[in-house]
Amino acid sequence: MSTVSPPVRPEVAGPAGPRLLPTAAVFTAAVGALLALAALHLTQGTSAVDGGDLLRLLTGSADPAVWNVLEGARLPRLTGAVLTGIALGASGVLLQSVARNPLASPDTLAVNAGAHLAVTAVAAFGLTLPLLSGIGVAFTGALLTAGLVLALSAGGGESATTRLILAGSATAMAANSMVTLLVLLFQEETTGLFAWGSGNLNLAGFGTIAQAAPLVLIAVAVAVIAAPRLDLLRLGDDTASSLGVHVRRVRLIAVVCSLLLAACAVTVAGPIGFVGLAAPVIARQIAVRVPVLLAHRVLIPFSALCGALVIVAADLAVRAVLGAEKSIEVPVGVATTLLGAIVMVWLARSVASGAAEDRPAILHGAAGRSRLGFTLIWIGLAAAAVAALIGGMLAGDTMLLGGDLVNWVAGKTGDSYTWIIDQRYPRVLAAILAGAALACAGAVTQGILRNPLAEPGLLGVTAGAGVGAVALITWVPAAGAWTVTGVAAVGGLGAFALVYALAWRGGLDTSRLVLIGIGVWSFGMAAITLVILASDPWNIPKAMTWLSGTTYGRTADRLIPLAAALVVVLPLIIAHRKEIDLLALDDDTPRVLGVRLERTRLLLLGAAAVLTAAAVAVVGVIGFVGLVAPHLARALVGSRHTRVLPVSILIGVLLVSLSDTLGRTVIAPAQIPAGLVCALIGTPYFIWLLWRTRTRT
Amino acid sequence: MRIPHLKRSAVPAALAAAALLAASACGTTEEGAGDDATTAESGPVSVTDFLDRTVELDAPAAKVVTLEWAETEIAASLGVMPVGAADLEGYNTWVGAAEPMDDTVVDVGTRQEPSVDAIAGLSPDLVIMEPDDEAIIKQIEEFAPVLVVEGSNAADNLARMKRDVDMIAELTGTTAEAEALWTEFEGKIEATTTAIEAAGTGDVPYLYADGWVEGDAISIRPFGPGSLVGSLGTAVGLENAWTGETDAAWGLGGTDVEGMAQYTDTDLKFIYNNSYNDNIFNEKLVGNPIWDGLKFVKDGSMYELPHSVWTFGGPRSSGAVLDYFAEVYAS
Repeated sequence: MSTVSPPVRPEVAGPAGPRLLPTAAVFTAAVGALLALAALHLTQGTSAVDGGDLLRLLTGSADPAVWNVLEGARLPRLTGAVLTGIALGASGVLLQSVARNPLASPDTLAVNAGAHLAVTAVAAFGLTLPLLSGIGVAFTGALLTAGLVLALSAGGGESATTRLILAGSATAMAANSMVTLLVLLFQEETTGLFAWGSGNLNLAGFGTIAQAAPLVLIAVAVAVIAAPRLDLLRLGDDTASSLGVHVRRVRLIAVVCSLLLAACAVTVAGPIGFVGLAAPVIARQIAVRVPVLLAHRVLIPFSALCGALVIVAADLAVRAVLGAEKSIEVPVGVATTLLGAIVMVWLARSVASGAAEDRPAILHGAAGRSRLGFTLIWIGLAAAAVAALIGGMLAGDTMLLGGDLVNWVAGKTGDSYTWIIDQRYPRVLAAILAGAALACAGAVTQGILRNPLAEPGLLGVTAGAGVGAVALITWVPAAGAWTVTGVAAVGGLGAFALVYALAWRGGLDTSRLVLIGIGVWSFGMAAITLVILASDPWNIPKAMTWLSGTTYGRTADRLIPLAAALVVVLPLIIAHRKEIDLLALDDDTPRVLGVRLERTRLLLLGAAAVLTAAAVAVVGVIGFVGLVAPHLARALVGSRHTRVLPVSILIGVLLVSLSDTLGRTVIAPAQIPAGLVCALIGTPYFIWLLWRTRTRT
Repeated sequence: MRIPHLKRSAVPAALAAAALLAASACGTTEEGAGDDATTAESGPVSVTDFLDRTVELDAPAAKVVTLEWAETEIAASLGVMPVGAADLEGYNTWVGAAEPMDDTVVDVGTRQEPSVDAIAGLSPDLVIMEPDDEAIIKQIEEFAPVLVVEGSNAADNLARMKRDVDMIAELTGTTAEAEALWTEFEGKIEATTTAIEAAGTGDVPYLYADGWVEGDAISIRPFGPGSLVGSLGTAVGLENAWTGETDAAWGLGGTDVEGMAQYTDTDLKFIYNNSYNDNIFNEKLVGNPIWDGLKFVKDGSMYELPHSVWTFGGPRSSGAVLDYFAEVYAS
């Protein structure tokens, strides 16, 4: 087990008498707190009804309109918050118990994202659904993504936690990209879904609540009935089996309950982020101090209660800070994600990987490729990159032919073609440069962290750079390319420094680093959403750039800082290619060979962060490139960085350039942002990659 | 990690083939540059636009591309049918009633991210946009002059609309048409005012809103006095019931059904936009105790704006809104 786990307490079925008291005390306190928060929650709203009116309602002297306000808006909102909280809190604790992993949750296992994708797809294609099938659709989506994630992360052995969370986060990223694509393509049909992507409680009735509530109660009840067997599962599968527990059946029951709960929550309010992670963690932290709560039949309801507390408190806080009207545009899910991401980082800090994980995660299937083979591949890829450049110049809304480009270079094109090519080449170059920078950064990061699934995006660097850039552009709209790049670099390096510092506990544990990175990444993306929703909620191009990445509207002068970063940083990285090879082995080999481990590691990771930030400043937050390109490179030419670096840079160029060209062409004159196409191309490869590495134990 | 066993020769061979294929994409799709003989029909024109840029043309523009529906409508109203416009399909659905487009107009992509390619391909004399397209001004200016109009200003939307119309008219040499258009619009204001006075219902305030729905979550967007609809209402002597916060450009507020509770006992005429056919006000909110308790709901004083009337448009769309005001207040 590579993570913190609560103390194992096999003797759950002890004498009931003396244990009832602390349980009752904790539950009373929690319910009391929930009631107090709920009472405060009821005093907030967009009408003039205040606490005094509510008190008068109790004494029977209030205007009947006060009751209408309660029944028509405030109670649905409160009930929705409590119900989704219960559902997510219970869903999270079940997933954590089944995975034996406190980082498992509907968010990190892509359950929420899958449910949301299914709901969005149904809305986008204009299908109307009969009663209850909304939950059915969400459940199907949740089942598919969770099944995928669990299947992909099976067999990870000692590195189970990291694999699980990486598989989940990447799947969630892909599902969210598809949601964004659907919103973009079917804007009319999905109006408002953009904000809903963060979870929204502006409920005007009890309709879906009434459908979801019985299911939530049934699922929680079934889980509580199965609870004693879940307790036994803590002892390990073999012990549990020998005690007569049907392990697979218990697991299946717990997972199905958990997915149903998450689907109900998503149907009521959209994907409210990270409650399913934070609530069970809070519950367990309290339970460690009051151990009787650790028995699942108590822990499940208690975690559900904590979930309700988290959502009600978050909604209360958002509306207290922003005011009731503004918070209609800034959904509560953004606040819970910010909070939950912090909890995740805190949790990940105590992760220590087993010794087995310290072996090089990257082996070399193609290590034996001959020099000739490498040269041929290199030449082929270089030719393909040039072809992508030319293809990118030719394809687009207006299709050109090679001779037009020749004319353009010679200055002989007619006016309109000169204009078309003049405005097209910065976009083509932006894609190429960004692809090179992101792929190079990914290759360095993966090598140094010895984790084939680590990349600047998942480490929070991309999101940090995005937060810096979007904040600057929002508050200083006139900022120039250099300033944006500079601030993005500060944001990216800041996020990276934060991740590194938090992960540093007398040494750098790569699992810890990656998990903390994912937490910071989630926090950063929520912060970007918050900035955009609070400042400019209807500005779709801005949202597209900073939430998915695009080359739209880029001019040549904005590319200069990125080109400069490549010119300065690339030689530095290439000069250290042998050290990357050593660092990719383990911590001891480079030390023995006289490499100053921490200094080199920091220098190279810093270089990767600068490249990432420079790319983000130009094309926004494009994911998957740094993940996919280095892999493909290693599959082609083995793992020596002398070979991996140039090949993965070329693959990165190809990937982003192709994505950009496709995005500009397939639905022209409308366009799909390059980042979305990248995610859609990258996802199948990534899933295949996880599948291939699944049996490695 | 296990790596797939790719056939060693297959990858390089495929890449080489791809490269060859790409290299063969030669030839041209256009002739080289020819003589560019534009004869000026009248003298040079120039305006200072919303971003304080001086836009000068040697001659009034004939080939105009518009990147937002309001400007598409205004150009067409002035007799200058655009050669290209953003989101034509959407225009026909939401705006078309007041000023239909010819078949000759080319779609240049979405309003959010119009295709600069498509715009350049049309070789326009002038590209008209609103400030939210600022990011592509530089790119477009490489090949065509850009006029940035304001689009909306919650401080005084009618004066703003006149400025926008006049700028477009100046650069397209249609100042006479603009004058006629504005006279027609002012005539409409007068006629509507007279009609409301005649009906004697002008003391009742109005509330105009649209909204959106996700599951049970319903958001309502009231149009404040500064919005274009609000300015039109004020111009014909009506009182706007929405007093909450609105944004500085569009004059739009944001609220939920609870925000309607303030109108529980208010006598008003509620006009709503149902262009998305999501039936928020006539179906989804029915049964909600706040909504059902509102006086205008109980009185049935609810009016659905005809579809394809654009509430952020030019003088012709505004005229259609005014016509509907007259209809509502005559009833």
